Amino acid sequence: MAYPTATLDVIGLWIGWFLMLMIYSYPLYKENITYRFAEYLFIGVTLAITIITNFSNVMRMCITPLMQGNLLMIVPLILGLMIFAMLIPEYRWLSRYPIAILVGAGFGLGIRGTIKPNLQDAIISTITAPTGGALLDWFNYLYVAVGLICSIMYFMLTFEHSGALKTPTRIGRLFIMVGLGAYFGNTVLFRFTMLTGRAQFFLQVLKLIPM
Amino acid sequence: MSLGKLANIDRRVFYWILFIALMVPFLSPIGFPITISPNTQDLYDGVTGDQVAEGEVWIVNFGYGVSAWSDCHPSVTVLTKALFREGAKIIFMGVHYDIELTYNKLQDTCRADFANKVYGEDYVFLGYMTGGESVIAQLGSNIKSVFPQDHFQTPYDDIPMLRNVVDVHDIAGVISSDTGDYGGHFMTQWQAAYGTKLAEAGIAMNGSTDLPRWQAGNFFGVSVGSRGGAELEILIGELGEATTAMDSISVSHLLLVIAIILGNIGTLTEKLGGKK
Amino acid sequence: MSNILKKEAVYAVTGLVTVLMLVEYFFFENTQIWAETIRTWAVIIFNISLGLGAARLLIQHSMRVQKQGRDWQFSGVLLGIFALMILTGFAGYIATGVQTSNSIYNWLFNYIYTPLSATLYPITGFYIFSAAYRAFRARNLDAALMLIAGCFVMLKNAPVGEAIWIGFATIGNWFQFTGQIPGMRTFAIVGALGLIAYGFRALLGKERGFYAGGGE
Repeated sequence: MAYPTATLDVIGLWIGWFLMLMIYSYPLYKENITYRFAEYLFIGVTLAITIITNFSNVMRMCITPLMQGNLLMIVPLILGLMIFAMLIPEYRWLSRYPIAILVGAGFGLGIRGTIKPNLQDAIISTITAPTGGALLDWFNYLYVAVGLICSIMYFMLTFEHSGALKTPTRIGRLFIMVGLGAYFGNTVLFRFTMLTGRAQFFLQVLKLIPM
Repeated sequence: MSLGKLANIDRRVFYWILFIALMVPFLSPIGFPITISPNTQDLYDGVTGDQVAEGEVWIVNFGYGVSAWSDCHPSVTVLTKALFREGAKIIFMGVHYDIELTYNKLQDTCRADFANKVYGEDYVFLGYMTGGESVIAQLGSNIKSVFPQDHFQTPYDDIPMLRNVVDVHDIAGVISSDTGDYGGHFMTQWQAAYGTKLAEAGIAMNGSTDLPRWQAGNFFGVSVGSRGGAELEILIGELGEATTAMDSISVSHLLLVIAIILGNIGTLTEKLGGKK
Repeated sequence: MSNILKKEAVYAVTGLVTVLMLVEYFFFENTQIWAETIRTWAVIIFNISLGLGAARLLIQHSMRVQKQGRDWQFSGVLLGIFALMILTGFAGYIATGVQTSNSIYNWLFNYIYTPLSATLYPITGFYIFSAAYRAFRARNLDAALMLIAGCFVMLKNAPVGEAIWIGFATIGNWFQFTGQIPGMRTFAIVGALGLIAYGFRALLGKERGFYAGGGE
């Protein structure tokens, strides 16, 4: 995307630049009126976009087929509107029906979908011994196998972690901490990449680097 | 100033140091070399050569918004280019409100490749969907029930490339680029049930959950955030935004590691000073 | 009767929908048409329900403006920009079926929403930096392991690590591809087992946390 030339687009670009500085005035300076202004502005536009986008979705999936003769589509429309009964205390129980469908579908799909990838494939991958004889491969294999067993034992929270369970659960906790540390390292990459994008935008609007 | 007293520095000083440090490498690039990780190599191999037949239909899922462009978009750009150059047809869809902006940006970053393609015959933008695992499951059963029209209100049946595309069996592969876990939903509802080829090119934070899935064979490849994007740019031979950002990433990460080390030395110094 | 409508019938609906999804997948493909219908309904209900949060926020901010509560001026700004975007967005949608066809909506979407959205989420990057310096201490073995793994993965992700010492990338790769696997795979397995157990509890009507409100 090149630096815009149309006046309104250039104005918009600079407004976006100032809005960015308003938001960053909070960490870089302190909480202030410009930050709050930008924050409330964001909530307002997001609300509008949420409503319009989901409205167009509902039109596409429900209203248009209904108008074309699929009368069954009146059912999800009514059920969806029943969700708003949550706002009226004496009729709040009506909102349980659409929630029941969402919860039921979610659980049903979740249960049937999770067995193979998250249980079967994960366990098979763990217990599959390495082909070839490299020492490091066998070390890694034992590390993952022992680590997985001990870490799962750590989550057996219905048993007290004492006696025979004390050592393996303690080892499991250490394996979990290593996993969380690596997760932290990846999280840092994500967060700093987003900040990098903003730093780049800061310089691009000032034309210090090409857009 | 003792290391212990460093702990009491106003945090805003760190924020300014970080913000300035992020900008310097853009003004004065360094160019550290980047090596390719096996997960990224597998991802690239999975969308090139014999792995992609001409005319087969792939889905590219924009599971990210504008805030994650710097993390996800470079990977999606390279993968889109690779699929187009193998002759694949692509269905673009997404789960964020701003996917139209993402789609427009993709057309900008893949300008030369889109120029050779015809909308409706080689690619289509179906638009926004939401609904978690339910919508992915329903997409697998009947794509038209989720998208009776594309984003531009063209009826599904009027789009040439979609005439023989009904459900998951007509899709050769899925590339999901997520800030959430729609890749996981595709895994449980598509890959596990039907064996659909699936890859993830999402944010770095998801790398920790996605790499075990790649090792277990659920994903044929994983790109981990902007680092994965930079590796993919090297593999396709067209450096872009991710490679440009890597210097800035390097500086910020180095600063963070130094900060952690200094903080721990400070604590250790205080402890030892206290014990004496 | 009203108790049955408020409780037992709801649990029955949950159970039936869950069973339908399982039966379709594991046993009878003939039930696919019913399962597809319910899934389509679930997606439509999900889309409509996203308006609930928006409705609550609008009510809250409208009342704040009406009563001139705390920051009511900002709530006014919120409602004003909301009204402008809603009107222009619907104008575009009614005209062409695509809301961004309205130029005002499109401009606001590109130059107000986009920079704000792109700016607010990365703010956590600042806090990670200060937290790393002030709070991440290797006080015990657990914290030390976590810090070591984190530092090596960071130096693996950033090209500078490899440039300083090849070992950073080698050890970082080990943490990335082997070291973290037991921990992260545990979360997946335990999460899957929990989902299955929780799902069957919901199927049997034992799990009622979703159905708050309405007096029971």
